[in-house]
Amino acid sequence: MNSFEYLLHGFGVALEPMNLLWALIGSALGTMIGVLPGIGPALTIALLLPVTVSIAPTAAFIMFAGVLYGAMYGGSTTSILINTPGEAGSMMTALEGNRMARSGRGAAALATAAIGSFVAGTLATLTLTFVAPLVAELAFIFKPADYFALTVLAFCSVAVVMGTSRIRGFISLFIGLGLGVVGIDKLTGQPRLTYGVAELLDGIELTVVLVSLFAIGEILFVASRYSQARETPLKVSGKWMTREDFSRSWKPWLRGTVIGFPMGALPGGGSEIPTMLSYTLERKLSPKPEDFGHGAIEGVAGPEAANNAAAAGILVPLLTLGLPTSATAAVLLAAFQNYGLQPGPFLFTSNPDLVWGLIASLYIGNVMLLVLNLPLVGLWVKLLSIPKPQLYAGILIFALIGIWGVSGSEVDLIVMLIIGIAGYVMRVYDFPIAPVLIGLILGPMAEYQLRTALASAQGNPMTLVETPISITFLAIAALIFLAPALLRRLRANA
Amino acid sequence: MSSKSISRPYWLSVIVIGLGLVCLWGGLSLPAASRYAGIGPGAVPTFIGAVLVVLGLLLAIQIYRGEPFEAQGTENADPNLPMNLRAFLLALVAAGLPILTLKSFGLPLAAMVSFALVARSFGSTRLGWDLLTGLILGLLSWFLFDRLGLQLGGLLPLAGI
Repeated sequence: MNSFEYLLHGFGVALEPMNLLWALIGSALGTMIGVLPGIGPALTIALLLPVTVSIAPTAAFIMFAGVLYGAMYGGSTTSILINTPGEAGSMMTALEGNRMARSGRGAAALATAAIGSFVAGTLATLTLTFVAPLVAELAFIFKPADYFALTVLAFCSVAVVMGTSRIRGFISLFIGLGLGVVGIDKLTGQPRLTYGVAELLDGIELTVVLVSLFAIGEILFVASRYSQARETPLKVSGKWMTREDFSRSWKPWLRGTVIGFPMGALPGGGSEIPTMLSYTLERKLSPKPEDFGHGAIEGVAGPEAANNAAAAGILVPLLTLGLPTSATAAVLLAAFQNYGLQPGPFLFTSNPDLVWGLIASLYIGNVMLLVLNLPLVGLWVKLLSIPKPQLYAGILIFALIGIWGVSGSEVDLIVMLIIGIAGYVMRVYDFPIAPVLIGLILGPMAEYQLRTALASAQGNPMTLVETPISITFLAIAALIFLAPALLRRLRANA
Repeated sequence: MSSKSISRPYWLSVIVIGLGLVCLWGGLSLPAASRYAGIGPGAVPTFIGAVLVVLGLLLAIQIYRGEPFEAQGTENADPNLPMNLRAFLLALVAAGLPILTLKSFGLPLAAMVSFALVARSFGSTRLGWDLLTGLILGLLSWFLFDRLGLQLGGLLPLAGI
């Protein structure tokens, strides 16, 4: 069977009524948390992880994919209507989109964001459909040393790119790596860094760390610096897209997709850099550059497309190599592990229903989200009237359930409090959070590959640099140290 | 950041070095080498610990040179505001109290108290409403997630349920 036939089969899976229902639940939930402050896709999926005990993997991943895409759609609504970008990826949308809404063109801004997200999401999913199996084929020839080099590359890029300081990025990463070591060593069965606490023998769960850093850390931080400024969402005013809006939007949508997808697939690429790149590019290419800063529709269309394409891009390395490139991807990887599944080349052959059902559901999810977001936008805006004190209190309750429901152990609650305080400190002193999660989930894999590689070479470390693949990965990892200078220039231009 | 003087949070590097030492200590007490694999279970924790110690020292040098630390921006928070210690402590108590209350009082009651504490720390003054909302939210979640197969403990352990 080729990709196309597999995809058709995937549609068969995704169109089953129960799976459609899960896709709808995921999309609606994703849009909701995209609109609400304080809770993002990574945290939502982490809180939903406990349900994996009672629903089938295909259904769960279809729902999670809906959350991932939906959060991107919902995020644009808040940045356009109240100028508070929920995630880094929506920052650029707020820049022009909010100005458009202020000058009575809110409807057009929402439309170009939603349709752009749809176009980018669909094109990126199409690319994913045909690129992923190729990458998976490639991964079959990877040896342990190559995998190790790949994880080193991933570590370097997340530590360097996410955050403002390389030192703080690497501190975050190594704290994550240290947390990942805790527990019983897989190869020798010896307990490591448990210091006699029996509950630590199973290791520290990614869910506990993620929920603590994102929910508890965020609640503590916002509580300590809560700004009471009342923000009333702007009215959705003006016409939906006119012919001119459309002709100014379609090229930015396509360019945004081309920028976003590959950047999302790269470790540390995330959604911040591609949206920034897309914004800068559109301003340069626009026939009316003077509009920028006063509500240029290109400045909404491009970054929103880039944002969604990047979200699809993270699925390529995750599904084909088992390599998470963002906090959301890390928690998706944890979900696979909950089911005893290891994403990677073998997943395509061992679980075709799951992989292709998931990919097919991305197409369906995009259609659902377009419907959920354009005509029903007024409904989502109502969510913004939930008073903030009760909203954050609610987030704490869900965080508690997420952690208590996993193991019912008080040790996890203590870990939650300690890591939550750490999350607060990291926000105050600007340490990036995603590298902790990547280090925690990818560290044990890196160590396993390293020790397997060394064992098969009788401990000769030269085996790590013997294949062209590993040399290339390690060379790129070294080059990435030069990236910050480049990025600084980019940020200065934006 | 106050303009009067640059703050020098050396305690950050102390914590990083401390974490590094904990890793190092744990790593060094394990066999670092194994007969055929070259490295044993202790090698990686030792390496991580050593790197954390070095990073902690580098951070201290950065702090000495006056590296600025700006709080991250997020929704509903103004990083330029001074820290509201009372709100912070209330939220911290809300997050920590379940360590004591969750098992013995059950989820709904623990949720009720923590909910009201967080809402209070964000400036809500309607204590009765918040307690009620927290209780309802806790009860609904308990029934919903119990249905989904989560082990959330007893509904009201004090009464033996």
